[in-house]
Amino acid sequence: MIAALDLKKYFGPVAAVDGVSFTAQDGQVTGLLGPNGAGKTTTLRMLYGVMRSDGGSIEVDHVDATKYPRDAQARLGVLPDLAGLYPRLTAREQVRYYGELHGLEGDALHERTTDLLKTLDLMHLADRRAAGYSHGERTKVAIARALVHEPQNVILDEPTNGLDVMSTRAVRAIIKRLKAQGRCVLFSSHVMQEVSALCDSIVVIAGGKVVAHGTPDELRARAGYDSLEDAFVALAGAGEPR
Amino acid sequence: MRVPRPLPRWVRQARVVLVKELVDSFRDKRALASILLGILVGPLITAFMMNRIADRQKEADDVRIPIVGARNAPALVQWLSQQSGVLVTPPPADPEQAVREQAEYVVLVVPADYADDFRASRPASIKLIADSARSDARAQVERVQRLLQQYNAEIGALRLIGRGVSPAAATPLKVEGIEVSTTQQRAAKLLSVIPLMVLLAAFTGAMQLATDATAGERERGSLEALLVNPVPRGALALGKVAASALCAMLAVMVTAGLCTALLRFIPLQELGMRFRFGTPHMLGLMAAALPMCLLTASVQSCVATLAKSFKEAQTYMGILILAPMLVGVMGTLYPVDHQPWMYGVPLLGQYVLLTSVLGGFAPGPIAFAAAGLTCVASAALMLRATVALLNDERIVFGR
Repeated sequence: MIAALDLKKYFGPVAAVDGVSFTAQDGQVTGLLGPNGAGKTTTLRMLYGVMRSDGGSIEVDHVDATKYPRDAQARLGVLPDLAGLYPRLTAREQVRYYGELHGLEGDALHERTTDLLKTLDLMHLADRRAAGYSHGERTKVAIARALVHEPQNVILDEPTNGLDVMSTRAVRAIIKRLKAQGRCVLFSSHVMQEVSALCDSIVVIAGGKVVAHGTPDELRARAGYDSLEDAFVALAGAGEPR
Repeated sequence: MRVPRPLPRWVRQARVVLVKELVDSFRDKRALASILLGILVGPLITAFMMNRIADRQKEADDVRIPIVGARNAPALVQWLSQQSGVLVTPPPADPEQAVREQAEYVVLVVPADYADDFRASRPASIKLIADSARSDARAQVERVQRLLQQYNAEIGALRLIGRGVSPAAATPLKVEGIEVSTTQQRAAKLLSVIPLMVLLAAFTGAMQLATDATAGERERGSLEALLVNPVPRGALALGKVAASALCAMLAVMVTAGLCTALLRFIPLQELGMRFRFGTPHMLGLMAAALPMCLLTASVQSCVATLAKSFKEAQTYMGILILAPMLVGVMGTLYPVDHQPWMYGVPLLGQYVLLTSVLGGFAPGPIAFAAAGLTCVASAALMLRATVALLNDERIVFGR
């Protein structure tokens, strides 16, 4: 479970995140939906501990992430905004590196790595260096290394951005599987179909504020539109300064 | 049996980072080649030049003296050919032309009236044909001049004794020449390049990894993902700095080893150097240079973390490497007495230690310890600065 309460982040005089609160539950997929520049990435960066918040609190499985950032990070698997691979390492080595940083070693690490590469259909890349991977392959390897320590909570920042249909489907399948395993999945997107197809709960964010929070049906009803896209435009527009 | 206590978690994490960076960097063939080239070229060129100088010196000792009119001075010719390394040869047809065309270094001409003058104890004239514009002939010409002066002195002494005068009376001055010939100076200059090469190796060895693991990590977009792992920034920085320090140490050891090996093949005694370069010197070089690798690695990592891009980091590396060059060049151009305070200045201290070790006189362990500790302490400061930079969001996410 990930809980954000009244999160704030300022860049100089600009409030990039201005009092964001929401909870992402275990066994659910929570979507963070918003236009470009709404503050999605900044919010997520504070959640996964690479940016300090200027106010508010974060709890990951009831661990205070602002006080114990390493403990919170140990419970998180993250596909960050920038998820570059090491071009001279193979897929297996990229995954092993993160596993070792999490304290895994020996047979346990080997088995876990092989399992992940098999499940994500990456065995053909296992011993190939990352320099020649396609965008979809890079994303899948980045997701694999984020899951090596079997985290209870998974944060994915625009995981399907720029992917082709096949890769997008593969990523969706991963998200569904994580949900079925009872994990808490939080992902950001600005693609409507994706959010409506996957999410149990949607947080609409605009101008650094949460403008709506609920199930897809609730959001449609609230905005008075049948299509989620129209609802989103209406809700997101409400957050923009006029 | 005592079960070893497991290392603290952050130390194990730093070790994981270190191993990964080393593996990653040793797969970068182009970077590896540029490091190798950087550390091999210096010693090889120096060895080549030392050998050339030694050959020259040897050539000067073996001198060919073509003599025109050798029949006019049989005693002189016989005396000359008895001197070691001297070969009296028949003269060329046109002596002056032969010297001008560089067929001969030097030609002696004994005129027909030499014998009459010599017998009458008048100064007998003898012509020495040489080309003073030829610098490579200088050693040969000087050798022949010295031989003639020696013959002059010997005959003069014999004549004085024949007249009942002590030769000492005709020698009011006894000049003792302490010979520091140009070839020896050049050889000594070349030897003084070795400390500079060792210092440079500590910089070039760490450079690639220090840049790739910091500025490169950010430019590839892998830094943010790395920071998501539950690893203290200090462990990350320590692992990266330690990896580049190991590379620098490897480069220093290769350079020092290469210089040692090459010095053994260079005929130093022919250059007038009573010097044998052996294992103690090698150990001295290591003791002086290895602590500095920690400092070069941490300074380079810190500066590369500060840079906005990989390219900018490389520019800074180019500026940093001027520091050892400056120390080395100043040390060669303006040799000063070694002062105790110098050991406390990183880089300068190492340079002074390296020069002393190569000069065949090793300073006490306190000097080594002082120079080493200063390096380790400054390296720790630079490491702290790197950690502070990694904690700065403006650095991590660009500005």
